[in-house]
Amino acid sequence: MEGLRTTTVGSFPKPDYLATARTAHARGELSREALQELERKATAEWIAFQDEIGIDLLVDGEQARGDMVAFFAEALPSMELGGLVRSYGNRYYRKPIITGELRWTAPMTVEMWRFAQGLTERPVKGMLTGPYTMVEWSFDEHYPSRRDAVLDMAHVVRDEAIALAMAGARYIQVDEPAIHTRPDEDFDLAVEALEVVVHGVDAEFHTHVCYGDVELIYPAMLRLPVSQISLAFKNTDFAYFDLMRKDPWEGADVGLGVLDSHDHRTETVEEVVEGIRGALELLPAERIWVGPDCGLKTRTVEETRDKLRVMTEAVRRLKGES
Amino acid sequence: MPNPTVTVIGSYPRTPRAGEPFTLRTTLQAMDRGEATWEDVARAQDQVVRDVVAEQAAAGVELVTDGQIRWDDAQTRFAAGLEGVTIGSLERYFDNNTYFRQPEIKGPISRRGPIVVDEFRFARAASPVPVKAVVIGPYTLAALSKRDDGLEFAALVRELAVALSEEARDLAAAGATVIAFDEPALARPLGLPEPDPAALEDAFAALVDGVEATTVLQTYFGDVHPLGETVFEWPFDAFGLDLVAGPGNAGLLERLPAGKVLQAGVVDGRNTKLEPVEEVASRLRWVAERVPLDRVWVAPSCGLEFMGREPAQRKLESLARAAREVGE
Repeated sequence: MEGLRTTTVGSFPKPDYLATARTAHARGELSREALQELERKATAEWIAFQDEIGIDLLVDGEQARGDMVAFFAEALPSMELGGLVRSYGNRYYRKPIITGELRWTAPMTVEMWRFAQGLTERPVKGMLTGPYTMVEWSFDEHYPSRRDAVLDMAHVVRDEAIALAMAGARYIQVDEPAIHTRPDEDFDLAVEALEVVVHGVDAEFHTHVCYGDVELIYPAMLRLPVSQISLAFKNTDFAYFDLMRKDPWEGADVGLGVLDSHDHRTETVEEVVEGIRGALELLPAERIWVGPDCGLKTRTVEETRDKLRVMTEAVRRLKGES
Repeated sequence: MPNPTVTVIGSYPRTPRAGEPFTLRTTLQAMDRGEATWEDVARAQDQVVRDVVAEQAAAGVELVTDGQIRWDDAQTRFAAGLEGVTIGSLERYFDNNTYFRQPEIKGPISRRGPIVVDEFRFARAASPVPVKAVVIGPYTLAALSKRDDGLEFAALVRELAVALSEEARDLAAAGATVIAFDEPALARPLGLPEPDPAALEDAFAALVDGVEATTVLQTYFGDVHPLGETVFEWPFDAFGLDLVAGPGNAGLLERLPAGKVLQAGVVDGRNTKLEPVEEVASRLRWVAERVPLDRVWVAPSCGLEFMGREPAQRKLESLARAAREVGE
């Protein structure tokens, strides 16, 4: 069987030595250079692991990133990190603030991508946070409207995508987990912004849409100008198949989440096989990418490895059958 | 012209001021490790409540809340006090990047006992100005819950209204002169059960029945389209409308019935960009052309917990100064 390519959504957990080093660096007890060395060590371990289990499209695991918005906010000249805001319970994050006109000045992700790609023969995805999500998850003290901010942010993300493509990245994933925040008011804007990002950039673009009311943006979601859209299928026990039966999944390939990123339990090979079989009833194998539901950074290193081994084993089993 | 009453919606940041220790957070973490007790956490919460009521009053707010700093979220705070409701998985809270645990309703519903009455008493004793009590509204609680109750939606809303009404009566007995019922779901109905105006009128009548206090129907995060002026037919004394995220609410102001109070949300509770006093004042003058200021309360567009402590305080100062300016 051709197809059933495997990939992941982006983030992997940081090994203990790196988590400790990040804390030490934040306290000023460890130099930036020493931290970066450990980030590269952890990245190399994740690349080797993905190679070993036979994943087709690799990621660097975002070992140098904390939060997917804050990482870029810290790197951009017209954004800063604001005060702590509570997300739930006793959990807080520093919500970024847009303080001026957004512009790209230098590559933010190219060096780590190049390092990771240098370690493997298989392709490594460039990983970017999409313009709608960047703005939606930040305060805006500069722009008169969300539209103005999102479209300027789209040009920033586009410049970073160009830098990745020029460095040799063939695949770039632009994550838009916030895309269904206001589907009534803003979905067209999110699509327009992504069109700005990808227009004329020489790479294959993928996107990831996270938990939320996917049913509110399906099938409109298929208008996104990318060649693959991944969703958290496993978390909803593959209920999106019902949406796909009603309105066929047309255009882009599907990124089929088969591992629940928020569940400590490792899936069985059988349940992953069953999930993929369900997708095969709806789409040919060439149009199915198999991956986890979401980034895996909230799992432990061991849980992540176990889950991914199950995923690749399930795909091998299915391919062996044909 | 009188100064319009300056108030707030509900939540206030529980984060510390710059440079101060985050005792509440570290105490909760210590409790998770088994190194602190609930009494330690309650003491830390008490201190934050004292701080935030004093801070709101100092900023010029005349009717404060306790900041809801003891709540994980409004849904679970009340759901946890009801029989027939359990607490489920994390869900996104409307269009915010914050989360709540989704109540799961099995029914039958009844209130186990007073839910927020003790904490209201504490805040009232700690505050130099009157404190508004806040209770989640029955429509929002029903709309955000996962349901396995077998009831018609309207019947569930009414059952919840009856249970929450007991809480409101106890709050009034404990000295609450103003009780706000939070109904953000009325302003963001997308994907939620359609509000049926007649059924809601019936449920809200049960909600405010016997409540000896000024009652507020508090909406936020958007406009009350397509309900529109229908909301004014419901039996509340005051109506909170978000004029920042809900520009469609502007057309309703002229329809406010005589004798009812408008609580106008005029500064953005979800963005740190500070509205200067003059800008807020000009918004208030615009409101005053439509509703006499003796029937206007002014507030941020929603609870202020979506931002940090300092921007929240600056927003309140700007709001209060603008209110004094237009009242002169």
